[in-house]
Amino acid sequence: MAKRIYGPVAGGITPTATADATNLANSTGSIGYIGAFLGASAIQKATFYEFYQGGLAGASSPTIFVVARDSTLAATLGSSLSTDAPMDASTVALGTPLLVGNVWTTLPQRSATLHLLNLAYNAFGGIVRWVAAPGEEITQIGNAVNTGETSWSAFTGGTPGLSSAHCVYEVA
Amino acid sequence: MKSKRSHEGYLLLNHTDSPGLSQDFLDAAHAQSTAPPLPPGAGRGLFEAPTFTCAHCQKVSIINPLRNRDRAYCAKCDHYLCDDPCGLAYKVSGGACRSYKQLTEMLYEQGLKGGLTHG
Repeated sequence: MAKRIYGPVAGGITPTATADATNLANSTGSIGYIGAFLGASAIQKATFYEFYQGGLAGASSPTIFVVARDSTLAATLGSSLSTDAPMDASTVALGTPLLVGNVWTTLPQRSATLHLLNLAYNAFGGIVRWVAAPGEEITQIGNAVNTGETSWSAFTGGTPGLSSAHCVYEVA
Repeated sequence: MKSKRSHEGYLLLNHTDSPGLSQDFLDAAHAQSTAPPLPPGAGRGLFEAPTFTCAHCQKVSIINPLRNRDRAYCAKCDHYLCDDPCGLAYKVSGGACRSYKQLTEMLYEQGLKGGLTHG
């Protein structure tokens, strides 16, 4: 087990506002969503410790980011438009890493009822950060719908703006 | 022995150098999303608040210091619950506790036995 940091491409991402139970369109360049986290096996557990967004937009951009469980799973991870690195440089590569990214062959869909965390902010200079207390983190288990995949994407409404982001997670 | 405060997470919403979010926008966002709402005024200036993670579903709720109503609480797992659906379900069921940790353990056991499939 080792903590890792995941984020979209370094220049940030302008999120595409997407309704629940609708395909999260693959990210292209700096447009899309931040990421989906899918268990690589039926017993893989992931723990999310922190989510951070920093606004990079050049004009007022009220943006509704939501962390939610997914009701339709992604499948077949594509070429990365994101970064995923261990926090400790000496970390040994995981044999079975969590599947994380924002480009998939089968697109994920956010559950309409299982929103976990509201990260609404103004991407014109705003900052939002959530950190869990020890033992109170968001977790996912396995690779089934509603429990085994978590997505981090923009909900409909507002005018989503360019955002940098990262989350800290750990796979067990 | 742990106190309730030891379960608190932390939310920072910093709009000191930003126009922030209007109350109308926050209300509209809450009306559409099932994520717990941000309290009034949270979209302006610097907003810092403790949060708790619902022990039964893991929704993250902000602990609103201005709240007067009782917060849903499960004495069996000694954790706060979100208002809806877990707090409501807890009341209706007469206090049934099914924590997310229990669910995770159950799914893990099923996974070990090959009971879960992808998709």
